[in-house]
Amino acid sequence: MLVDASARFQSLLAELRRLPGILGAEIARRDGILIAHSVPKTMDPKKIAAMSAAIVGTSEMAATEMGLGSFNQSIVDTDVGMMMATGAGEEAILVTMIRNEANMGLIHLGVDKAVQAIAGILQAEEVVA
Amino acid sequence: MMPAAARAPTERAKTGIAILDQRLQGGFPRGCTLLLFSDKPTEKRIFGENFAVQGARSGERSLYVDFFRAPQLARGELKRFGPVDASKLIIVDATSSQLLLPSPEKYHIDDISNLDTIREAIIAAMRAEKPERIVIDSMEFLMDRFPKEDVLRLWRELIEAAHATGAIICFLFINWTLAEQDLVQIRSMVEFVVEFQSSLRGGIVRNSMRLSQMGADGVKTNWIPYAFKDLIGLTVYFPRILVTGPFNAGKSTIVRALSEKSVSIDRMGTTVAFDYGNVNVTGIEAEIFGTPGQERFEFIFKIFAREVSGVLLVIDATRPEELPRAKQMLDLVGPRIPYVVLANKSDLPGALAAMDIHRRMDLPEDVPVIATVATEDRGVRDALLILAEMIIGVR
Repeated sequence: MLVDASARFQSLLAELRRLPGILGAEIARRDGILIAHSVPKTMDPKKIAAMSAAIVGTSEMAATEMGLGSFNQSIVDTDVGMMMATGAGEEAILVTMIRNEANMGLIHLGVDKAVQAIAGILQAEEVVA
Repeated sequence: MMPAAARAPTERAKTGIAILDQRLQGGFPRGCTLLLFSDKPTEKRIFGENFAVQGARSGERSLYVDFFRAPQLARGELKRFGPVDASKLIIVDATSSQLLLPSPEKYHIDDISNLDTIREAIIAAMRAEKPERIVIDSMEFLMDRFPKEDVLRLWRELIEAAHATGAIICFLFINWTLAEQDLVQIRSMVEFVVEFQSSLRGGIVRNSMRLSQMGADGVKTNWIPYAFKDLIGLTVYFPRILVTGPFNAGKSTIVRALSEKSVSIDRMGTTVAFDYGNVNVTGIEAEIFGTPGQERFEFIFKIFAREVSGVLLVIDATRPEELPRAKQMLDLVGPRIPYVVLANKSDLPGALAAMDIHRRMDLPEDVPVIATVATEDRGVRDALLILAEMIIGVR
């Protein structure tokens, strides 16, 4: 069971990375701890996990403060591309790093699918061995 | 229980996990018996392997009796620990005969269905090689196949044979079937028990172990979280140490002083999101999260204040008026989490002495206050080590 969940996360991430224009993807917990990653060697997955949690936490607070409803996704837009941090269930976030040339429609579809799968896996695996 | 063949106490058998060795006054005493125990499948094999590899690395000889894996596989998996002199790591092969294959190892058990053959093969290897460390992987293999009484007898004979040569013998054992009274009997045969536990929460596997020495005043630890590092072995691993404290106390500087690499998300020197660093000191690995100090960033604090192993509470020793705020920040983390107070900027004029801070904050007696100068990296590492010891547990 323990191995099973992480293997499924890895295959999810691998599938996402097959989409053209995706630089890397990782799953982190909302408190900044890394769950699984598939990012290039030049990126530090643990740092990205911590930062994404802060971005998501801050965005969530801002949304609540502004009365804008519940949080779905934070986007950081840069001259190279963008980073999307998407809520995946109560516990996790999916971070995707994308180049500008990417087909955003495809990416959104892929991310939505992945996010639902992650939420499902996490809900099923609350076990203590 | 110590046999005559035991060496000087300075020559204890190191586990390679620095903070554990320290707690054991240098390592396990020679000629003792270890039980690596769990009631569910966990990673205890990695402790057994780590123990054997550490022995081989420090010039001792380790005998590894493997009932589960083919020796080629076992040797392959041991490569994760990095280069080890294969001649110092002797494997007793119990699988080749089951597969009707010739054994590549010098020592092998030829008939796995006969307890006498098993005993003789292991004891012959022990006598011939005189290893300092012996690992039996594992006793549940035998418990599953032979009558309980016979296995217990073999168990005792192996301990005796090991003690006769002054070796440390280490048994891996998962209990599937035995009742509590049998477990009491098994525990009474050993000097140390290391228990293992794995859990999965929020998609992350956490492994921890707990060491206890038999006897009323033996060493006992809390559950110690650990991780495996390629080419090194087992290390103590704290997934989250929180560095917190009031505004401008020096939290970011402390995260920076502790870590090899760190990031700080700040504006003009004030942390607005958090600091993060990865620490690696004397066998301890930890992820350090520094929080902002101002109340308006408290929501950031709450993101990171979950599953905290321990807290470094940083205060500015020159500003006693901030002490109430510091105490309030501790309450945000929650009760029963070990913490150490760092009286930072202790080199500045007007800095309060550690004792004064302890009194003014009305801290429990067992909470240490340590004078630090983060800008000069003074006292910071000590504070982390003291915190690590508190998390691991003293006694």
